[in-house]
Amino acid sequence: MLKRIWKARSGYLFILPKFVFFTVFVLVPIIWSFFVSFQEYRIFGTEWVGLRNFRDALQDDLFWMAVSNTLRYAVVVTPCSVAIALILASLIHPLRPGAQTFFRAAFYLPTVASSVVISMVWRWIFQTRYGLANYFLSLVGIEPINWLHSSAWALRSVIIMAVLTPPGVGVILYLAAMGSIPESLYEAARIDGANRLMQWWKITVPLVKPTTLYLLIVSTIGSFQVFDQVMMMTQGGPGYATTTIVHRIYNVAFRDFEFGYAGAMSMLLFAAVIVLALIQSKLVSSDAEYKG
Amino acid sequence: MPKRMCVLTALLLVLAVSASAFANWTGTITIWDCPRWGNEEDDKFHWIKGKIAEFEASHPGVKIELVETPWAELGEKLSVAIAGRAWPDIVPVDISGAINRNHLEQGVVEALDDYMTPEELEDFFPGALEAYTYKGKLYGIPMSMSVHVMLLNLDHFAEAGVEPPENGRWTWDEFVEKAKALTFDSDGDGVIDKYGFSTYILPGYYEAWPFFYMDGAQPIVNDEFGFNTPEAISAIQKLVDLKFVHGAAPVEMGSSDVGGTFRALAREGERFVAIQPWNSWAIATVTGEGVNHMPNVMVAEYPIGESGRPITIGGAGGWVVMYQKDRSKLDVVVEFAKFLSTTEEQYTFALNYGTFPSRKSTEAMDPFADQPLMARAAEMLEYAVTVPEHPNWAQIDARIQAELQLIFAGEKSVEQGMNDAAAQVQRLLR
Repeated sequence: MLKRIWKARSGYLFILPKFVFFTVFVLVPIIWSFFVSFQEYRIFGTEWVGLRNFRDALQDDLFWMAVSNTLRYAVVVTPCSVAIALILASLIHPLRPGAQTFFRAAFYLPTVASSVVISMVWRWIFQTRYGLANYFLSLVGIEPINWLHSSAWALRSVIIMAVLTPPGVGVILYLAAMGSIPESLYEAARIDGANRLMQWWKITVPLVKPTTLYLLIVSTIGSFQVFDQVMMMTQGGPGYATTTIVHRIYNVAFRDFEFGYAGAMSMLLFAAVIVLALIQSKLVSSDAEYKG
Repeated sequence: MPKRMCVLTALLLVLAVSASAFANWTGTITIWDCPRWGNEEDDKFHWIKGKIAEFEASHPGVKIELVETPWAELGEKLSVAIAGRAWPDIVPVDISGAINRNHLEQGVVEALDDYMTPEELEDFFPGALEAYTYKGKLYGIPMSMSVHVMLLNLDHFAEAGVEPPENGRWTWDEFVEKAKALTFDSDGDGVIDKYGFSTYILPGYYEAWPFFYMDGAQPIVNDEFGFNTPEAISAIQKLVDLKFVHGAAPVEMGSSDVGGTFRALAREGERFVAIQPWNSWAIATVTGEGVNHMPNVMVAEYPIGESGRPITIGGAGGWVVMYQKDRSKLDVVVEFAKFLSTTEEQYTFALNYGTFPSRKSTEAMDPFADQPLMARAAEMLEYAVTVPEHPNWAQIDARIQAELQLIFAGEKSVEQGMNDAAAQVQRLLR
């Protein structure tokens, strides 16, 4: 084994920096959270409490409210963001290379911006009195909506923001996947009389399924971890209308200083995301992957 | 020399050496501080930098490292630092937020009773000491006091032809009448665009709360939830009615939008609310230069309800010394914290930073002789109460404020909201 590693040392050296960062900032905190979830964490000395934190989490009405809000967010945002990425990529792909490059950059660049900045911009858009959203509604005679401060609209506002934020990574990945589909398949379809929509539905969509699966899983994980948008736009309110799982975990950990309890909720979230990813993988996985 | 004498002399020598070692501790002290007032170069940390230079000059071998921290990030940053056991030595916080009662019980903060003489303690206002006292121990050196006040835009009053309250005192009924008269359509388009009153509701912020105390209620009474009593329900209902029955508050009232609320009172070009409650720090902001400068502003008390007093909520700011493993370092850290909060420093703060001194000796220097708004606000300290002292206060507060948000959004009745809060809070009080 050591010999094999030594032979491939240059490869390992390349991944070493990333691996070190991953270990320090992801792996170790996850393991630490796991152990903390069985403890009542105190600054000086902790107490082993077994499964008590998990039991408390499952009996916590605020946790279930957060689960419900997160599910409602994920159920809309995940399919919408993947579908929008697919549609945008499909519209960009037939364009000339120059135009493609322009649109790739146009859709990818916003993903470089911090979600905090984007959320602040959307907070302005949803501002009740001077916001752009209510201004547009007023042009068609619709009464202003109290977007961020009514229970009925607050979560919808966060969802609208997430859906309308360009899915830059998805567009790039879909474009790459579409670029690898052989032109001969489309030629054959055209000879058989298929129109553009039929070609897209029968050739493009099935052959980018692996990318769709990947994006669905990544987007689901992202949706379950929604936090900064909520923190910036509504702080979980009004009441608990936009309290999501990670927002609840954050409050329990850093406002209430119950790190064991927060750790238990994190582990429950971790388990839920793994189960969902496996289910998605089973449902969407396909043998239609193009290997040519 | 007899043997016993030799041993005694040796012991005394050891003690003397140890004592001098404690007094001469050298090393680095870390202090976090937040922006204060600017100098000619608009450096808002110039005051603390000057004090650090002075202290380092008089304590050779002691280096003080300043970590400049925005106020908005202080609580979160400190929470993370405490969780990681990597806290600074001194930090400018109170003991109800980022540092809370659980931390005090766990020993994260040093009790300073042994470092304060009775004469020193006597110089502080009792309310200031009380704000840093938990279970009989002092956990910080109070530097300033604050109080919530009502800020009135007198230009708005003049435009509506409404007289401001005489000497800033009014009953609830007078307040409602004025708020209604201050609500009008200023540009004649048939839509109301000027409002009498607004405020916001957010965990950890108490601008609206003195209204809820107005009829004699308190959030916790003898370890029981107190905001579902008749006095509390009537007081909250009055403020809710101001919005939904009298229409004297905009739809945003009771939301969590702190910045938007302040802009509606103070920001040039965005003003549309005549009266808002704010912490007294806002007085310096609206009377200073910049886009939030209000040319004609007045300070008033909260309206008087059934309790018969213009109750408000007060607080204190100061320096907290975090746990020190090295006890000889602790002496120097405390010395520095005391050095920052002398009578003279508090006078400088009162003049430049818009805070009330926590020392009687500073008050005696009459720092607000040329600042009538601050002087009027200082009078309100007499009616100030503090938020309850409870180890779970942060959680209790979050639950009450969440229900208040729903009440002021018109989604729950006052009774239902406060009963729902009671069900959640009662568990935390046990």
